[in-house]
Amino acid sequence: MTATPIDPVTFEVLRNTFEYVCARMTLILKKSSFSPILSENLDFSNAIYDPDLRLIGQTANCPVHLAAMHFSVQAVARKFGKDGLKPGDVVVLNDPYDGGTHINDVTLTMPVYDGDHLIGFAVSRGHWMDLGGGGPGGQGFGTHVAGEGLRLPPLKLYEGYRLNPDLLEIMLRNSRTPHYIKGDLQAHMGALLAAEEELQATARKYGRDTLLRGMGEMIQYTERIVRAAIANIPDGEYHAADYADSDGISDAKVWVRVKLTVKGTDIHVDFTGSDGQVAGAINSPYANTTAAVYTALQFFLAPDAPPNAGMFAPITLTLPDDCWLNAKWPAPVVGCTTVTSGKVQSAIWQAVAQAIPGLAIAPTCADANWFVAAVRGPGGRIDVFSDIPAGGWGGTPYNDGLSVTLDPLGNCTNMPAEAAELLYPVHVQAFDLRADSGGPGQNRGGLGARFRFRFLGGGELSIETSRTIDGSPGVNGGGSSPVQVLVQERPDGGREVIGGVRADGSWKSPLLSSHRFAPGDAFEFLSTGGGGWGPARDRDPARVLDDVLDGYITAGHARAAYGVALTPDGRSIDAAATAALRNL
Amino acid sequence: MWTVGIDVGGTFTDLYARNSATDEARTGKVLTTPRDRVLGVIGAITDAGLQPGEIGLLVHGTTTATNALIERSFPTAAMITTEGFRDVLEIGRMHREHLYRPYQTKPEPLIRRRHRHVLNERTTAQGLVETPVDLAELDRIIDRIAEDGVKSVAVCLINSYVNPSNEQAVAARVAERLPGVAVVTSAAVKPIFREHTRFSTTAVRAVLLPVMASYFERLQAVLASQNFAGKLMILKSNGGMMSVDQARTRVEELVESGPAGGIGYAAQITGMTGYRNIIHTDVGGTSFDTSIVEDGRGLITREYEIEFDVPVAVPMLDIRSIGAGGGSLGWIDAGGSLRVGPMSAGSEPGPACYGRGGTRPTITDANLVLGRLSPDLSGKFTLDHEAARKAVATLAEPLGISVEACAEGMIRIATEAMAQAVKIVLASRGRDPRDFALASFGGAGPMHACAVAAALQTPAVIVPRYSGVASAYGATRLPLKHDEEVFHFAAFGPDALPQVQARLAAIEGQAVATLVAQGAALADVLVTRVMRMRYAGQTFEVDVGQDAKAIAAGDTAALSEAFHATHAREFGVRSDDFAIEIVALAVTAEARTGEPSGADSDPPPPLSSAPPGSRPVFFNGTWTDAPVIATSAATRAEVTGPAMIEDPHTCIVVPPGWRARFDSHLNCILEVQA
Repeated sequence: MTATPIDPVTFEVLRNTFEYVCARMTLILKKSSFSPILSENLDFSNAIYDPDLRLIGQTANCPVHLAAMHFSVQAVARKFGKDGLKPGDVVVLNDPYDGGTHINDVTLTMPVYDGDHLIGFAVSRGHWMDLGGGGPGGQGFGTHVAGEGLRLPPLKLYEGYRLNPDLLEIMLRNSRTPHYIKGDLQAHMGALLAAEEELQATARKYGRDTLLRGMGEMIQYTERIVRAAIANIPDGEYHAADYADSDGISDAKVWVRVKLTVKGTDIHVDFTGSDGQVAGAINSPYANTTAAVYTALQFFLAPDAPPNAGMFAPITLTLPDDCWLNAKWPAPVVGCTTVTSGKVQSAIWQAVAQAIPGLAIAPTCADANWFVAAVRGPGGRIDVFSDIPAGGWGGTPYNDGLSVTLDPLGNCTNMPAEAAELLYPVHVQAFDLRADSGGPGQNRGGLGARFRFRFLGGGELSIETSRTIDGSPGVNGGGSSPVQVLVQERPDGGREVIGGVRADGSWKSPLLSSHRFAPGDAFEFLSTGGGGWGPARDRDPARVLDDVLDGYITAGHARAAYGVALTPDGRSIDAAATAALRNL
Repeated sequence: MWTVGIDVGGTFTDLYARNSATDEARTGKVLTTPRDRVLGVIGAITDAGLQPGEIGLLVHGTTTATNALIERSFPTAAMITTEGFRDVLEIGRMHREHLYRPYQTKPEPLIRRRHRHVLNERTTAQGLVETPVDLAELDRIIDRIAEDGVKSVAVCLINSYVNPSNEQAVAARVAERLPGVAVVTSAAVKPIFREHTRFSTTAVRAVLLPVMASYFERLQAVLASQNFAGKLMILKSNGGMMSVDQARTRVEELVESGPAGGIGYAAQITGMTGYRNIIHTDVGGTSFDTSIVEDGRGLITREYEIEFDVPVAVPMLDIRSIGAGGGSLGWIDAGGSLRVGPMSAGSEPGPACYGRGGTRPTITDANLVLGRLSPDLSGKFTLDHEAARKAVATLAEPLGISVEACAEGMIRIATEAMAQAVKIVLASRGRDPRDFALASFGGAGPMHACAVAAALQTPAVIVPRYSGVASAYGATRLPLKHDEEVFHFAAFGPDALPQVQARLAAIEGQAVATLVAQGAALADVLVTRVMRMRYAGQTFEVDVGQDAKAIAAGDTAALSEAFHATHAREFGVRSDDFAIEIVALAVTAEARTGEPSGADSDPPPPLSSAPPGSRPVFFNGTWTDAPVIATSAATRAEVTGPAMIEDPHTCIVVPPGWRARFDSHLNCILEVQA
């Protein structure tokens, strides 16, 4: 049977519709959810799938959810079969080993019907603030996934639009933040119902067959774009590596080693040689690793193509059986999205830099710097405050890297200080640029941040991050950025490095679990910028001066890293001294 | 006396005037004078044969504010902010515009980092001043600001929305020490929580203040010197107008001042033609603006961003602009492909055919080459056909195609880009272009409208009678409009209502007084009230339009039902599980003045004495001899394409396969031939 292709205008309308459906889901979830991690940080993604479980459209506030949600829909279909679902059924899951990634990412899947016919699935995944476990936000950093919170296999949370109150009760009883759960569920439900309504309206308007065919054509369209882009990359094998500073249990580095094979219009990604499964909480389930691979490559393949299953077809993966990037039960995994994805992405970017050096960009901070704090308020009430103070991106062939922008794996927004202070017993004291934190280069890395808040009533904080041993590496002769630092400051001004390199040169793992803060103590985090692109001494001295005048870099750094000397008032270039420095 | 609307666009300054005593209507169009836009305003008045002294009401739309922001062409501004928050304008909300583009950058901050200064001060979220302002420290900052030659200062302190006293202390000191420097505080601009949106809106006001002050000063001085004694009103982004005194301070509300008039006109068209859903499009010399008008109203957004992550928190018409217009330049990219825009020849030097020194080909040159544009534009100056051909040939030759093919290609590329912009507006709200009619405004609009509509499969095109001066015409049809908003946090319930009523009454009083001070009759003022409400625990609110009687009666059942219903409409869900909170209160006051809306009683123009002619026109790769019909003649009979319908300000291209007819209001309706 050969179907005539859909006319170009209808194709365009469908393309926009798939985009719009997901955008509307996103707006609803943002505007009506209760957890600030959803409404302020936008740590969620929404997607639609066709009846054959292929991704059709997605707004990815978190690109790392991109391919991972695919495994969720498959898990739902595996458990219930497509015939075992009815209109208004919503399946919840978060099991890292059955369709999920880490326990906090809760995925809700709803089949959508046009009359009796299945026309697709609406999927809404959000990071829930807390589902129990050994530390706030699931950041227990134990050695067993059971310590990371309530594990939900695919279960019907709604049947025929009716909530299963028993299941809800179990979730409420297992969370440190039960007050968010009902409201967040309502918001997810609003998003799913919107997708159902839009897809049904599209089926009515254009016909079910046209809609389903349009889904298929959209996937082929994206695949054509991706393959054409791969064809432009020289065939060959490209190797690179990056590492996480520690798994929080031992102090050993944990390595990602990747071999990228480009051949014609296919890419094969092989992680053979990467470290085995580790005891600590940074193991990554297959779904999460896959998502990180697709996200990383997407930047250099089809940045503007409709995000759908067509992106995945030309890319294949090899993951060794015993590998921290292919986690098996009962390995703990809470850090997989925020620490591990970044390392996978950074290693792949460094491999890409060998394949297309002129087009590559230097690695980013490669960490989400996700912290979760249990904060004590008046009357001893405990709430959970969380944020993701970003670092910078690497320099590019055309310009300096982005400063303080969430890593490629996500596109979440920050928690405004004024929102945080309305909600929690904290004072946010700073979120500004950290001078000299970009890797020096002809185009320098974007800057990292100084983030700081005070616990008014004390509490405890968990965080998982890296780049405290080496900063973000440069490419094409660019320099690396400085390391990240975690500090606890007492009300009397006494400061202690609680993660990273201390004054005496010793080093402490930047994976902290339930670290205690007394009332009035402050937590300060210095994130790092991106790596530099090209030799720093090739940077135009006028741009270096501008950076000094704006305080992006200090005069000392201008001299040491860029070989640019300024006049004593710091307002202009000392040409002779600069020439002498650069000719050394 | 005359009521006059004037719109200063990127290329042309347009005028529409109507005499209330005689019903006479006139139009005017002159080139915009970018170095001193006031000259163009006076020029347009003269062009219409009017004297400023004859004008009773002058309603003015201006793109001066938008241009200054986009080009970052404003005097140096500084910011004083809380220690730790120097980079709120630069970090924004920490996200990126394009998910996967590796080389993307973010817009330059409106105030450079070197001019952003921090102060050790602190107010808590509960409104307690924890650290008062240290004047000695502040004075050192003020010394720096003085040294830097700064013209305006934005004072943006954390938590000022709940207690502005530290901001006021800083502003007072700056004003005292630096007379002549404009000072604005974030709480006075918009007392809303979330520092980035508030600071950004404040920065927009700060950088625009000196720009608009000198513009309005000069405009008023020149008008006064020519005996203007009428009222001067300015179009604002929310689709209303305000007095020039209001506009001088509320400069952040001028961002969409230009297109606002056109949308007012589009809204009127829905009443005249029976098309309820209209895609408003406006093709000027440099840009293409588009928006949706449904059921007679332009859609308003409160989440407008000038550029990515540069929000302005004022209610605004939701308009999308791209760089595509009559002046857009054709060029050949590095890969050897023909491209058009977004750069424009503007009004100086303008298209090559204007004979003002331009040599690079524009869309206007392409239209002239193809015979779609009359060589004697407006009958005022003759377009240089040879210069246009020569300019287009500079692209045709390296491409190895004929001049005509190149010109037609340029137009196709430009119209595709326009269609794409429309699709984005429609798609972002899930609308289908086939359910709309496309209204075409702007001097260059009706030449391309059918092509854009064809690309969208929109079945009908409307060229309104005054499409050539649409924003100027629409300006005379807009109401006075004023928004007020106040942060007011309370648990919803009977106990909260007395205070809510009092504060609503207070801002309502302010809004009404503002309109009355601008000349509105109290009886004409229409007020709508909004409570921003949410379920306790949410962080965003919904705008709930509330009935004045329900508020006055303390009818909590009606007020809460209005909230539940709004939440269900916007988000698909509602619940009785949660308590309700009020976060902010807002009112919009509107009053009609001047021209009545709805009826368009301008008499038809006299029948042109010019005999219908014809000229060769190039369509779809071949030359055809197409009739050229004066608008006044076309109104009397249906026209079948290919044909040109022309009057001094507009040229309607009726492509092959289309037909045109005029309705009783002299709007031209174009449809694909059955």
